[in-house]
Amino acid sequence: MAEHYARAIWELVLRGMTPKKAVQAVHERLIARGRAALMPHIAKALERLAARVSQKETIVLSIARKQDEHKTLAQAKSALAGLSASRDEIEVRIDETLIGGWRLEGGEHLVDASYKMQLLDMYTAATAR
Amino acid sequence: MDSSVVEKIIKEIEGFTPAHESAHVGRVTAVGDGVVAIDGLSKSLMSEVVLFEQGKGKKLADAMQNEQGELYGLILNLEEDSVRAAVLGDTSRISEGMTVRSTGQVLSTPAGEEMLGRVVNALGEPIDGKGPFKDATLMPVERQASGVIDRKSVSVPLQTGIKSIDAMIPIGRGQRELIIGDRSTGKTTVAIDTIINQRNEPKDQRPICIYVAIGQKESKTARIVEQLRRERALEYSIVVDAPASAPAALQYLAPYAGVAIGEYFMDKGKDVLIIYDDLSKQAVAYRQLSLLLRRPPGREAYPGDIFYLHSRLLERACRLSEEKGGGSITALPIIETQDGDVSAYIPTNVISITDGQIFLTSELFNKGVRPAVDVGISVSRVGSSAQTKAMKAVAGGLKLQLAQFRDLEAFMQFAQDLDKATADQIATGQRMVEVLKQKNGAPLPVEMQVAILYAAGHQFFADVPVGNVTAVEAQLAEYLDGEHKKTLAEIKKSGQLSEDVKKSLNRALEEFRLAHSELFPSK
Repeated sequence: MAEHYARAIWELVLRGMTPKKAVQAVHERLIARGRAALMPHIAKALERLAARVSQKETIVLSIARKQDEHKTLAQAKSALAGLSASRDEIEVRIDETLIGGWRLEGGEHLVDASYKMQLLDMYTAATAR
Repeated sequence: MDSSVVEKIIKEIEGFTPAHESAHVGRVTAVGDGVVAIDGLSKSLMSEVVLFEQGKGKKLADAMQNEQGELYGLILNLEEDSVRAAVLGDTSRISEGMTVRSTGQVLSTPAGEEMLGRVVNALGEPIDGKGPFKDATLMPVERQASGVIDRKSVSVPLQTGIKSIDAMIPIGRGQRELIIGDRSTGKTTVAIDTIINQRNEPKDQRPICIYVAIGQKESKTARIVEQLRRERALEYSIVVDAPASAPAALQYLAPYAGVAIGEYFMDKGKDVLIIYDDLSKQAVAYRQLSLLLRRPPGREAYPGDIFYLHSRLLERACRLSEEKGGGSITALPIIETQDGDVSAYIPTNVISITDGQIFLTSELFNKGVRPAVDVGISVSRVGSSAQTKAMKAVAGGLKLQLAQFRDLEAFMQFAQDLDKATADQIATGQRMVEVLKQKNGAPLPVEMQVAILYAAGHQFFADVPVGNVTAVEAQLAEYLDGEHKKTLAEIKKSGQLSEDVKKSLNRALEEFRLAHSELFPSK
């Protein structure tokens, strides 16, 4: 239930209502229906929804070592163009488990050029009887 | 790691060219009870297979030690900005936020000759420890059933080896015949005996048998596999197992995987016999999935498309035209009823889809009539056109005779007051019931059935005490098998009961009667 109210607030904001007004409108409706106790749950659901949307919009470039950043950005240029993202919109993260190479995640796209993925593929191909 | 793997890895490294993989992904937002909600994957298809990425954040060595293999899901709900998928494996391996990759493929199962004699799970993966399949073809689990033009009517019999069924409720290749009854009435036994009986068919005409166990105890399936192996029936059979301990999604998918494997053989022009044991449990698994997917519940909490669940499965059983190779799939679905209630939701659905039903009752079973087939309400709508002439000749009036006997049975307690005609009818009926009894795991070849029913129809057992009929029948079968092989072979070959064959049978019966006069005490 809280998820649905949170989504309603989100939709109201997307349609141009200010966040304050949207929350107020839902709050008034809840009071009228005697369900004001739902408000904290709605707030949490809204928080989760915002986190999900922000995660969706964030473009993350994972690399194994900090010093690889410039080289990787050049290598991942075409992949970045595919996501129509500029350099400033990218969040670079260090993930040592990648061993080398890079991994780009943004929205519903994933481009994996990490050594780990390639080594795993190699291992799977060799061990598949 | 053995040296061949090391060599392969060396070869892989030598031929290595750096590459990158692009994928359409989503993220797990909620997980529970075998169903996951996934944010994203907006371009995914219904029934598409998705892959859960388990290696993210793990070190290479840990990712390599993924002994349970890849984890897949099956998309079952497409929603406004998310999808819901059933997990085809252990849900505990999934965590919130996990990346899910689209594969762009609908679910398919391996199929091929090398699967004969093997036990596989609902995804077609071997679970009998005999190693993976090397040369299997992938068959789509969901496929449109063959159309009207591609089909041919049923004309070739499928012998079950069970006298009461082959005589009165005949089944043809390509037919769908429901086996229905309460628990412990011998439904599985009828199905397994049918599989075992196929060993009596010539190798080139023998159907490939597929036994799909849905929601069964592992011990029961293990016992069935062992029985098939012992009876040399496993060599032409495949067992698809989705036990009670398997996730609901796999129990729901198992029958479709089974029929997909069957279609591989049917497309090659072969005959296939498939047993679904049982579809009531599949319906329950689908109800569980549907409720978890928040689909609106209907009657008995089943979802609205429960009829379609079974109709699209059973429609895939058919006999193909000669242009399409002439293969067939004969389906024997099993439904378990509660307290003999055939008017419940699922039984009525499946009864209306199939081409007839074999109804087994607890009452007959407890009376010792086994197989406990109630011939009064059992019916085969298309099988009679596939019955051999010989069987038709001996089984013609059998159903009516038994129905009349059941009506008169109530008067048996007043036996002394009955007129001679009624008493005779009851005596004949009692002996016929005894003749139709059969032991578990002992199917009879069709020619032997014809000979025994011919004898019964000609009052051969009239002088035998009712309690001895089964024993005398067994001795007669042994005698015919030993001394009159030629006559039996002629019945099998021609499928007819010619005058010469009748004469031979009469002679054989007379010889047996003379040789075993002690078995026929005069009234």
